[in-house]
Amino acid sequence: MSVRSATEVPEIVDTSGQASTQRRGSPGPAKYSAINLVKKGLSHGEWPRTFHDHELAKSYDVVIIGAGIHGLAAAYYLASNHGITNVAVLDKSYIGGGGSGRNTAIVRSNYLTPEGVSFYERSMELYRDLALTLNFNVMFSERGHLTLAHTDASVRTMRWRAEVNKLLGVNSELIDAQEVGRIEPRLDVSTNTRYPILGALYHPPGGTIRHDAVNWGYARAADKLGVQIHQNTEVLGINTVGGKVTGVRTSRGEVSAPIVLNCTAGWASLICDMVGLKLPLITHPLEAAVTEPVKVFLKSVVVSGSLHVYVSQTDRGELVFGASTAPYPSYSMRGSLEFTQELASHVIELMPSVAGLRLMRQWAGLCDMTPDFSPIMGFTPVEGFFVDVGWGTYGFKAGPVSGEAMAKTIADQMQAPIISAFTYERFPAGTLVGEKGAASVGH
Amino acid sequence: MIRIPCPNCGPRNSNEFRYSGEPRKRPVGDDVTPAEFRAYLYEHTNALGWVKENWYHSAGCRRFFQIERHTLSNDCRPVGSAPQESAS
Amino acid sequence: MSGTSGPYRLPVQATEEIDRSKTIKFTWNGASVTGYEGDTIVSALLANGYEVIARGLKYHRPRGVLSGTFHDPNCTVQVDVEPNVRAAHRLAKSGMSVTAQNVFPSLKFDIGTVNQAAGRFLTAGFYYKTFMWPGPLWPAYEKVLSRFAPGGRVAPMGTPHGHYDHKYVHPDVLVAGSGPAGIAAALAAAGAGADVMLVEEDHNIGGHLRFGNDAELARLAELRAAVAAEPRITVLTNSVVAARYDDNWVSVVQRTLPSAVERLYKARVGTLVVAPGLFERPYVFEGNDLPGVMLSTAARRLIKLYGIAPGRTAVVFTANAEGDSCVETLRAAGVTIAAVVDARTGGNVVRALGRGHVTGVELADGRTIKADLLVTATGWTAPTSLINMAGARPVWNQVAARFMPGDDLPSNVMVAGGLGGDGTLAELIDHATEIGRIAAARAAGADGGKAPLLGVDSHPALFRSTTHGFIDYTEDVQSKDIIAAAAEGYDSSELVKRFTTATMGPSQGKYETINTIAVLGEAVGASVSDLGTTVWRPPFAPISLGALAGQHAEPTRISPMQEWHEAHGAEPLIAGQWIRPEHYGDPVAEVNAVRNAVGIIDVTPLGKLDLRGPDISKLLNVVYVNAWNKLDVGSVRYGVMCAEDGVVMDDGVTGRLGENHYLMSTTSSGAATVWEWCENWLQTEHPDWQVHITPVTTSYASINIAGPKSRELISRLVTDVDLSNEAFPYMKVRQGTIAGVPDCVLWRIGFTGELSFEIHVPSSYGLHVWESLLEAGADLGVKPFGIEAQRVLRLEKGHFIVAQDTDALTKGFSAGIDGLIKLDKPDYFSGKTELAWQRSAGADDIRVVPIQTDDPNIVPPEASQIVVGSKMVGRVTSSRMSPTLKRSIALAQVPASLSTAGSALTIVLPSGNRISAHVFDGHAFVDPQGERLHG
Repeated sequence: MSVRSATEVPEIVDTSGQASTQRRGSPGPAKYSAINLVKKGLSHGEWPRTFHDHELAKSYDVVIIGAGIHGLAAAYYLASNHGITNVAVLDKSYIGGGGSGRNTAIVRSNYLTPEGVSFYERSMELYRDLALTLNFNVMFSERGHLTLAHTDASVRTMRWRAEVNKLLGVNSELIDAQEVGRIEPRLDVSTNTRYPILGALYHPPGGTIRHDAVNWGYARAADKLGVQIHQNTEVLGINTVGGKVTGVRTSRGEVSAPIVLNCTAGWASLICDMVGLKLPLITHPLEAAVTEPVKVFLKSVVVSGSLHVYVSQTDRGELVFGASTAPYPSYSMRGSLEFTQELASHVIELMPSVAGLRLMRQWAGLCDMTPDFSPIMGFTPVEGFFVDVGWGTYGFKAGPVSGEAMAKTIADQMQAPIISAFTYERFPAGTLVGEKGAASVGH
Repeated sequence: MIRIPCPNCGPRNSNEFRYSGEPRKRPVGDDVTPAEFRAYLYEHTNALGWVKENWYHSAGCRRFFQIERHTLSNDCRPVGSAPQESAS
Repeated sequence: MSGTSGPYRLPVQATEEIDRSKTIKFTWNGASVTGYEGDTIVSALLANGYEVIARGLKYHRPRGVLSGTFHDPNCTVQVDVEPNVRAAHRLAKSGMSVTAQNVFPSLKFDIGTVNQAAGRFLTAGFYYKTFMWPGPLWPAYEKVLSRFAPGGRVAPMGTPHGHYDHKYVHPDVLVAGSGPAGIAAALAAAGAGADVMLVEEDHNIGGHLRFGNDAELARLAELRAAVAAEPRITVLTNSVVAARYDDNWVSVVQRTLPSAVERLYKARVGTLVVAPGLFERPYVFEGNDLPGVMLSTAARRLIKLYGIAPGRTAVVFTANAEGDSCVETLRAAGVTIAAVVDARTGGNVVRALGRGHVTGVELADGRTIKADLLVTATGWTAPTSLINMAGARPVWNQVAARFMPGDDLPSNVMVAGGLGGDGTLAELIDHATEIGRIAAARAAGADGGKAPLLGVDSHPALFRSTTHGFIDYTEDVQSKDIIAAAAEGYDSSELVKRFTTATMGPSQGKYETINTIAVLGEAVGASVSDLGTTVWRPPFAPISLGALAGQHAEPTRISPMQEWHEAHGAEPLIAGQWIRPEHYGDPVAEVNAVRNAVGIIDVTPLGKLDLRGPDISKLLNVVYVNAWNKLDVGSVRYGVMCAEDGVVMDDGVTGRLGENHYLMSTTSSGAATVWEWCENWLQTEHPDWQVHITPVTTSYASINIAGPKSRELISRLVTDVDLSNEAFPYMKVRQGTIAGVPDCVLWRIGFTGELSFEIHVPSSYGLHVWESLLEAGADLGVKPFGIEAQRVLRLEKGHFIVAQDTDALTKGFSAGIDGLIKLDKPDYFSGKTELAWQRSAGADDIRVVPIQTDDPNIVPPEASQIVVGSKMVGRVTSSRMSPTLKRSIALAQVPASLSTAGSALTIVLPSGNRISAHVFDGHAFVDPQGERLHG
């Protein structure tokens, strides 16, 4: 692998003249800021391209499959932290077209296991600074995250999470129903409901972020550092010689590369099949829906594991909902009526006054679930083939830290310490991660 | 809501059933290695296409049975009813 | 109506659907408005001269009627406590309070209009480029931005919400849309013997024939009569086919029932015929969002259905026959036609002039025409939503300049009418008739033949003039935003949509998608067919959460004694579907009663499976980790189940009632899982074993009678069983009569650590036996006790609870049941392989152990962490102050290296304080020798 130091990375302002067939923006200030926004407005100037099109090169040092948040973040950190810029990110569709653009954009670090908490807390740190790091407003909204407990058992689990979180310096606490009602007056905290709210795990730093902006911000920053993002470029096969990866076959031709990173979430098994690797993954659709906008009345992210629903309200006024994954595996993203029915009845149970609010759109994404609700990251038995998969329903939260850790793992050729619990080997070794209790509907 | 063709009751809404996983063979014997056994426990083919799977008609005849389902279209068919050309 | 511009009410129109004999009155932003029955809110507002219905999201520009239908992006209002009401569709009712949304402080003087001046800076996606520095300020910006969120106000807390209904239906053929094609398809399908549901979004069936010419009206009358005469057709008006899911599972929302706000039909449809007609597409030019600029179908609807003249002086921009016919309609209504601009001969509209409403129109030929109405008829958008949901990818037809279905429709979805192509009314009806016939045949399982295809008429592809205008009215996205986004690299249909939010608002692309793609195509030099359409996602029209939820029915399980418990002060405990008594006011007193006298607890939720057959012991051997070969008739045994990964999944006792008859008990929450688990083993692995399982959880009411005086108590009610310790020792089962109730099962077991009998009585006698026990034991001091006392009692005895003291990773040897696990059982049992490996596991392997805090007065809350230095190594899983020992006791998960008796532990309390504790020497805190149990 040819590794350039970060300072040698060419300053790529606009290479679209050579490589792109698209119209170019007129030159002008490229850095995003309020001042430049005004300048552009006064001069009616156009902004330069956020990301560029390229011909597919014959070889790359690293090929990343999947231009979602994981693939793009890994590419960005390979380039920015390790000076590895001869990187291609391939996607069969468009940037952020998979789970990265279909999730409900909730971020939090109040996990159950120490491994999980440390990992997601690092992600939160990166998220907090991401707008400045990438010069792209990702609209990180630290609005607070409430995981409601309706049963004695879930109160116990919430306290468990709070205790683990606190010992790792993460702001989490168990609060009672009255406090829940004070934070979110629209929630029915009376005892008249079928499953009264007994309390909640309150995680003030949790919140939402604009998922598309995160994808585009990483894409733009990676592009600027020389990473090539190839949309509409489907990987059809992976070449190996003697158990070592040598390249990939794509819908636009062959590419050689000694390192291939699989960041394809719901489709991860299909990519692993290309090198004969079986992983403990099952792909389930995860559905989401959004209502018409109404004036903002819900501040926090509200999650109810017992009622299988999570909800937040966007700045545009829409309620965004999610629930648990579909009850059987499928690669279908067509959605179901049952999901919207369950969702509606549970949301009304939590907030009776929203019955007249209308559901505007539903969609689905694909989740690659593992048996222990934790990802599979790092080396595989196939030399040069790396995975960053098994993201289940929590991939978006982990995007930045995963990119950072995978970049480090690839650059150092050694599993990054922060993901040491998430190796593929834990399954044959029988040392699973105990995240199941927290993550089943944990958004 | 897809319908699952129960061999005993006929097609019924899928919420009458519980998905029970793809059929797998448990490795037996004293020489079974942890890797083999845990592959049995955890690994899945997770194929995109027609797969054979177990279902339990929990709100019906209470029988376990196998069907083939296409994991993209969610179409179902009895095991062995595949047209010759798509029997893969 | 006075004045020289704007809308007004016309004299009676032959086609109108209002009843001028019935006047209604409501308020609009507080002012009184009158209309007629049959008026929509919007037609009544127009009749009263109100032209501005809403303001735009970003620039707060005034907006009026665009399409005059449910989906009109400019006509969303608040009605009483209901937000986002579609005012061009909702019928006006007396007493309504209608208010404009998205305005501050008022519709007329809106402070947000300053954004218009700032508009050039508020390009699409502007927020991604700013508000970053200083970073912590984003929350403050966010607060301001969210104040500008569009939409109405959700009902206040405590608003009683109406009744919403659900209904399952199984129509052979469901027709979406009741234009001439939809009606013809429905009639033909019904004629072929199918049961048909015909669904219409508007208030009357007939589609565009309702505002047609005399011949069309005559044809409509015939069609309506035929529908009325056809008993196989169920007509739903003011209803919408919201979505189509796999296996033709179709959701329909009906809004006309007197008994319900809305009803959701869940239809399993044989063949779905999609006949929604076409949406007229807005044209993009400067000023295209001014009130007074509307679609030709809107103008015709207003005149013909509501007797509203949409203006005084009109310019009509037309590219098709419908536009031409609108000229006639306007003229007939007395509207002055100032100009007809024909796109087919090169005419074009450059911009609409005016502030707040149209005052003139600038044309491509240089003329400027004074007018207060600009009507456009520039083409059609095919609402392909339902066929998209069926997995079809429509293809762009350049001749017709709209998307058409391809050849990828599943056989149970067909199209009729304008979605499928063009033709004369007769051709469309003939085609739909054939479609209806085939749909009926397919629904009946027959072939029916190939669906005929309609031709298409040539239509110019018109999207944007030489100026920029609005593409998305609800999101305030303009054509120049699309071009700018494309230049920045958001140059595919999906990226441009996400970046600009075009098509993401409440009308979900019905008016916006095609223009977005066309303008994107302009920007990148590609055709609409190159770019393709984005996927239209369900639902086609928004559905209220109330309709989706219906009458929320959550199953609740209670024992036959629950009413008694409630009447006697029981605090309810919600345990899954069960509601049970947590305590009756004083759990400590309940514990003391059991330890010192006798208590009774309702344990009905305990899972119970009746097992019959000669091979039961084989089943027990495979599902439990312990051995079952030598259980005699009359004995019970405790067993633990592990999953195949060795993790503890359930526990309970099983008694042998007869040679081939056992009663198995499970945890309350595990009853269904264990039953399925056993069936799975029997059916898929050992179909040769003869075992029949009957779930009897609720067939019996179960009561545990515990305490030193329990034998004395029960002996007063049991006459036919020798209860002496010799005849009925610990871990035995008997059947007999209790309080006169025969066929009861008595187990002598003891979760509480006391002498105790668990009785299972036919559930209808549960309350009788419960009350008999209390009555018979009054002099013994008998007390009912609840779950809380039981938890304390079992903790004093050192018993773990599955899923509380164990978790998803706790394997058998971790649970401290080493003595129970029989790895030498000859055959495979669930968990055997993993447990064999676990036996030799290392020092980190977890153990569940009883522990005591060194300070007996501190009870570390459950889930308190056990640490070594800063490392978390375990946790407290159960903890209580023991009323019996008067000290803190607990169970904890600790590493094997810290699990031996006396090991010192450090516990971090939720306060952060650390306390010391140690592993208890022994299993039970109370009565370690089990003397009470065996007494």
